[in-house]
Amino acid sequence: MPLVKIDDVTKVYEGKVTHRAINQLGFEVEKGEFLAIMGPSGSGKTTLLNMISTIDEFTSGNILIDGIHPHELDKDELALFRRRKLGFVFQDFNLLQMLTVEENLVLPLTLDYIPLDKMANRVMAIADRLSLKPILHKRPNEISGGEAQRTAIGRALIHKPDLILADEPTGNLDSKASREVLELLTAINKEESATIIMVTHDPIAASYCNRVLFIKDGEFFNEIYSDDRRQTFYQRILNVLSLLGGNVNDISAARLP
Amino acid sequence: MTFRQLAYRNVLRNLRSYAAFFLASVVSVMVFFVYSMFIFHPLFEEEGLGTLAVRGMLIAEVVLYIFTLFFLFYSMSAFLQARSKEFGVLVHLGMTKKQLSKMIFFEMMIIGSISTAAGIAFGFAFSKFFFMIGREIMELESLPLYLSWKPFLLTIGAFASLFIIISFVSVGFIRTKRVLNLLHGYWKVEETGKSSALLSAAGVGFLVIAYTLAALVDDSTVYMMAFIIPPLATIGTYLFFTHSIHALLSMYRRNKSIFWHKTRLVSIADSAVKLKDSAQMFFIVTIVSTIAFLTVGTLASFTSYTGDYRESNPLSLIYISFEDNENEQEHIRGLTEQLQQKGLAYDIAMMTVKRQTSAASGNEVDILKASEFNRLASTLEHERVDPAKGEGIFIPYSQESLAALNESVTDTVLIESGVPLFIASAYPHVLFPNRTLNANSIIVNDEDFEAIDEPLLGFTEEQSSFNYYAFHVPDWTATLGIGDSLSDKMGQAFETGNFEGISYYFENPGEDYRWFKSSFALMLFIGVMVALVFLLAAGSFIYFKLYTGLERDRQQYALLVRLGMTEKELLKIVNRQLVPQFFLPWSIALLHSCFAFISLQVVWDEFAELSILGEMAIVLAGFTAVQLLYFYLIRWRYIAHLQAP
Repeated sequence: MPLVKIDDVTKVYEGKVTHRAINQLGFEVEKGEFLAIMGPSGSGKTTLLNMISTIDEFTSGNILIDGIHPHELDKDELALFRRRKLGFVFQDFNLLQMLTVEENLVLPLTLDYIPLDKMANRVMAIADRLSLKPILHKRPNEISGGEAQRTAIGRALIHKPDLILADEPTGNLDSKASREVLELLTAINKEESATIIMVTHDPIAASYCNRVLFIKDGEFFNEIYSDDRRQTFYQRILNVLSLLGGNVNDISAARLP
Repeated sequence: MTFRQLAYRNVLRNLRSYAAFFLASVVSVMVFFVYSMFIFHPLFEEEGLGTLAVRGMLIAEVVLYIFTLFFLFYSMSAFLQARSKEFGVLVHLGMTKKQLSKMIFFEMMIIGSISTAAGIAFGFAFSKFFFMIGREIMELESLPLYLSWKPFLLTIGAFASLFIIISFVSVGFIRTKRVLNLLHGYWKVEETGKSSALLSAAGVGFLVIAYTLAALVDDSTVYMMAFIIPPLATIGTYLFFTHSIHALLSMYRRNKSIFWHKTRLVSIADSAVKLKDSAQMFFIVTIVSTIAFLTVGTLASFTSYTGDYRESNPLSLIYISFEDNENEQEHIRGLTEQLQQKGLAYDIAMMTVKRQTSAASGNEVDILKASEFNRLASTLEHERVDPAKGEGIFIPYSQESLAALNESVTDTVLIESGVPLFIASAYPHVLFPNRTLNANSIIVNDEDFEAIDEPLLGFTEEQSSFNYYAFHVPDWTATLGIGDSLSDKMGQAFETGNFEGISYYFENPGEDYRWFKSSFALMLFIGVMVALVFLLAAGSFIYFKLYTGLERDRQQYALLVRLGMTEKELLKIVNRQLVPQFFLPWSIALLHSCFAFISLQVVWDEFAELSILGEMAIVLAGFTAVQLLYFYLIRWRYIAHLQAP
């Protein structure tokens, strides 16, 4: 049984001009899969991710995560669902400035009132795994972008969620830091068989995944599976992108602060 | 990290943004505590000036409480809005609404307990100092420091309830439903505003009307205007900040030759955005400052009332003996003995005053004897009078009656005794307070005085004359306590309405003067402290707005510097932005106050006729100086933060 099942989801923005952001989109994500979602600016990638994140609503269709319909839950149940089942990685990290790296890592456990000693154990394990130990007591404004994103990934992992959702995790990083983050995500996917859905516009980032799903104007366009060599997979992604048209390297205007 | 630690760290590591907020709440708690120290002082359980102090301070406590409630409420809800991105992340990560409320509640309790504790600590540390001021003002022998749990309990109780109310109410302002909106943050670039032309015109119109009405107010309309002008000015101010300013700015922007000029392009465009989202804050700051100016200004104008006191009360002690007064000699002896005991030099002038009816007006008049009057005039070093037989001289009861009496010529007869009098002049000084003698009082020749031998119509011989003892004490304010037993008996008689056995009237203007003076000074003291809290709070609003926008401003300045803006130009832009934030509400408040004082002057003219211009000028100048100081302080910190790497 797939972990995530998207079924004919449609999202319509009502307004002066009715705009169909997502149109009858349907796909499945298996447990342990590392999926990338690609598409040109305005194709609905982020809207899709927000709907899976349960923080955005859709007009019709169905989303099923681990056998649960999150959109039928009430507000508090939804918060608990996000807290326990989902982990999030953002483009601009979204670390809390007044907390140290360690405190940011432990935040999801704090919200769940986990006993202190258990929290400490988990932090140590995660910090070890992500080599965050030397910076545990620094504040987010004192660390580099790569370190910040590693912290955010740690925060997304610490409560062992069923599904990790990443929105352009390398969008604000230089190429070296990007590679580190992507290798980290791949390793987590392989070693801990964590399920990851990542939205990206970067074909290099997408080439680290098992499968890439392309959407255009809110509709399914194509999907390709990885092969043994990342280099050829990257080439195939580029081919699809050229078919897709549009300048995929555009940074979506909506993301500018 | 436990959940409580999360709240605790949020506050402690954000101290800089809470700084002004803390400062204002600490000062508010401190003033509140100092007042409650006065209120519960064991010395004030007795009657006297203490009751006035306690009442005044109780009112001030209530005002402070309500104001602090609003101040904290506004600051807190704005602060929570500014933190919406942070809340968005937390909710995204799975914080429930209940947990969010709990976190904010904890945070509020931490801020509340720190500021209450600090406020009480400062208040207690300085209470000796405030007691010294209070002692001087109320002229008490001593006002010792005391220890009691009551002021502590009152302050803690008041502010604990206040912070609990605030934390419950402000939590309601966060909408967790739209996580996406929260994540988007509070500081999205606002539109510079589509101001409605109608409302812009209405804003300016209301203000102009309010000012015109205030300037044109006179005796007959002043009470009606008191209900019309303040609401009109308030609405006008609100519309002015929310609409009129933007209309003015966009007019300015349309003129490209002015607008597209060097740094103006940036500074005007930026202030337009800032003005828009600070409109409500500006409105509040303006109203709060206006109230602070008016409170202190009004109280200060009371003190100028005491300046005129001596002119209308030139006598130092007044004792009037009516019919059947067995204790007359005893009382006078008592008074002179008390004066001697205090070592005060004095003169007594005794005058017999006869009551008659004037044929010209039909009113009752008081008649004084020229030789007796001259005795008093010479002790006061005023000119003597010498009316010829059949001639009379009016005694003015106030400065303004003097002019009228000088003009009038009266030919009359004292009906009862048939003494004809021709009165063509008035004595050029006010000697007797108008409550001690009839408004129509006449000095006559000694011979004429002796000729008055018939009693006032319908009264006995005894009842138609009385003895007026006027004491002149050169050191007139030192008469504190003299004749207190006489005043007390009179006071009791007034309270009970039973005047039996009271056949005298006694007045100690020196004591009354001291009482007026110290009670006005006391009210001023109370008012200044409350105004101080008001002004700090107004400043704190501005600081707070600046702080929440700091990150955005920093990015913008970094960009401008990269585009090639020199440091000097940058400072110019900073000035252009800070000056309106500080001085726009300020100048509007000043303007409001000036017009309010014009109306106030009319009210004063009605019953005390004195000019409050001097006091007003001092008060407004003082506040302006404080504001300038505050401006430079904040600008210094702001620039330091902007240029921080």
